[in-house]
Amino acid sequence: MPLKIHQIHHMVIYLMICTSWSCVPKNNNQKDTLTYWTSNNGGEIKYAAWAVNRWNADRQNIQVHSQPIPEGQSSEEILLAAVVAGTTPDIYSNIWQGLVEFYSSSGILVALDTLDGFDAFIHVRCDSATIAEITSADGHIYQVPWKINPIMTIYNKAVLKEQGLEKFPSTYSTYLDAASKYQKDTNGDGHADQWFGNTSMKLAWYQRLFNFYPLYLSASNGQPLIKNNKADFNNKYAVQTMEFLQKLYNANYFSRQVESAGQDFFIAERFASKWTGPWEIEYLEKFKNKNFEYDFCPMPVPDDHQGPLYTYCDPKSMVVFKTCTQPQKAFDFIKKMMDEQGDFEFLKITNQLPRRKYIDTLPQFKKYFESHPQMKLFADQAKHVRGSDVSESMIEVFDILSQEYEACVIYQKKSPAQAIKDAEIAVNVLLDAASINRAKRLQDTKNTPIQ
Amino acid sequence: MTQENHKKRWHKKSWTAYLMIAPYLLHLMAFVCFPVVFSIILTFHKWNIISPMEYIGFENYRHLWHDRLFWKAVINTLFFLVVHIPLQVVIALALAYFLNRKILFRAFFRASFFMPVVVSGVVITIMWQQLYGLETGVLNGLLHSIGLDRVEWLSNPSIAMISLAIMATWKNVGLYIILFLVGLQTVPISHYEAAEVEGASDWQQFRYITLPAINPTVFLVFILSTIGGFSLFIEPYIMTDGGPLNSTLSAMLYIYRQAFGYYHMGYATTLGLCFAIMILIVVAIQKKYIESND
Repeated sequence: MPLKIHQIHHMVIYLMICTSWSCVPKNNNQKDTLTYWTSNNGGEIKYAAWAVNRWNADRQNIQVHSQPIPEGQSSEEILLAAVVAGTTPDIYSNIWQGLVEFYSSSGILVALDTLDGFDAFIHVRCDSATIAEITSADGHIYQVPWKINPIMTIYNKAVLKEQGLEKFPSTYSTYLDAASKYQKDTNGDGHADQWFGNTSMKLAWYQRLFNFYPLYLSASNGQPLIKNNKADFNNKYAVQTMEFLQKLYNANYFSRQVESAGQDFFIAERFASKWTGPWEIEYLEKFKNKNFEYDFCPMPVPDDHQGPLYTYCDPKSMVVFKTCTQPQKAFDFIKKMMDEQGDFEFLKITNQLPRRKYIDTLPQFKKYFESHPQMKLFADQAKHVRGSDVSESMIEVFDILSQEYEACVIYQKKSPAQAIKDAEIAVNVLLDAASINRAKRLQDTKNTPIQ
Repeated sequence: MTQENHKKRWHKKSWTAYLMIAPYLLHLMAFVCFPVVFSIILTFHKWNIISPMEYIGFENYRHLWHDRLFWKAVINTLFFLVVHIPLQVVIALALAYFLNRKILFRAFFRASFFMPVVVSGVVITIMWQQLYGLETGVLNGLLHSIGLDRVEWLSNPSIAMISLAIMATWKNVGLYIILFLVGLQTVPISHYEAAEVEGASDWQQFRYITLPAINPTVFLVFILSTIGGFSLFIEPYIMTDGGPLNSTLSAMLYIYRQAFGYYHMGYATTLGLCFAIMILIVVAIQKKYIESND
């Protein structure tokens, strides 16, 4: 029997009511559970469970529920999708420091410095350099520095014996000299198949965080890439860094071979060294041969370098999203999670460093480092590290550097000075456009009448 | 039957018809019309998904005109098409011609050639990445074993896009073989018999009987290859990330990078719209050319 028009109308109205009902935001004011997303790294999930259990055991009125960030291509994409859908968690750890400005300038993060106890907490946890590094362009702080993984040189100790060296080369000239002696064509096919080192040749912006950027920080004693919203890297340090990397590829001291899944040329002793973080320790202990010995040392620096040896520390922070109805409670949870005991458990469970000052002198940490000497090297390095500069365009800045890196270092199409100059011009164009937009946004905010 | 009755019945019928097509109309509105209209509106805005949209007039179009990298991506994509389409059509037609004959294990060969079509593009890309490896790749191993020098399949800017075109051809050729086989089987045998009686050679039979008869299939294969080629994404995304020196940066990869790398949604949509217009123009030219040779 065909439907009558009034029946169809009824059905449509019924469907509309159902749809609108499901779209009505639920009243979250009575919410007594905070949602905390961790990364989906096994160690961090385990640590989050420990931290949440500790919190929940003491507090009945506000419980925390932790879960790994949903699976996706990258955590950034998942976060963005959650922001758009309005399904962000209350708390998220593991956000890259360089991305916080992008989110905060869009107004979706809680300014933590407006919460009770934040100022005292941050000054106990961080030194003034770190606080300056995490302070946004608007003067507020939207993140709590959580953990770091300083980038250092890992090397095969057999190299020292083979070349009669007391320590791994630490300057550009000694590094290049050792590299020239190490490079070999072991199978006689006319092409080298043993190299002094390896670093990613991929164009992806984040790959520069593990080669150009830590080398630049080492050479320049930790100078920023961006200062006062202008490119600040067209200097002798950046040129020296590019030149050093270019020489490594030009002379074929670094491999152009891309490792595929299941291959590890460092363990196979075809690379003598690479630039990496402390996560390598657990991996090597699991997969290396019994006789394979390795150690870590700081990034190489120009021959005339003076001062401490800085590096990039791959910093990750914790943030509270504005969808959180109880930001003060969320911050209290973060504060509890990052107390000395929390940080120590984090180190033990994940073998990553909490971003906390004086970490090497606190008694229980000191004892841990005595039994884990390789982590001690990273803890020592942690005194001289830099994260990312404050800009909502950091990904694009690194992308520009990456383009120039490829042209100059990998394919020798540009001189180091030209590559750095071109990068400076492109970054300034980008930052100028971004600052015009920011000014316009601020103006719009001021002009918006208060509801 | 009175006119009024007829009108009532027509109304009743048309409402039933509307109801029947309503699900499709809803789908069309939600997933085609709305996105198209929204995209066009978006091209006049700056939007990073999480901040409110900001009207910027024709700024995205102006930027596109001066965007060196976009035009490089377009040229790369056209270069890919120039290598990929002829390679694909020739190989697919030759193999289809061969598989249309009575040969041993014909079913096995047909299934084998079709196999890569149903395997995930990501899996195939990773597999070819291993084949193309510089030091440890199978292809360079083979070249070395016959005394030839190795080839920088993916790290030489002049060769990388050709390497991707070879891989894409290998993956898709099975589908076009099937299409050509269908076309070949529609050609009446009597035409060939008559040609044989007239003393036509194999080549003459192919040139003057087969090709004109399968012209619609050739057109279809050209169109599908062109559209498929324009959407080149997975291969450069996984294998080269657009490098070396942006030589494999395809238009799709560039649009993706603008949208999901930098969150320039307005600009990415502008690029997408312009690119869609380019595809329409190329397909129209192809259609005209093939029809003129019909």
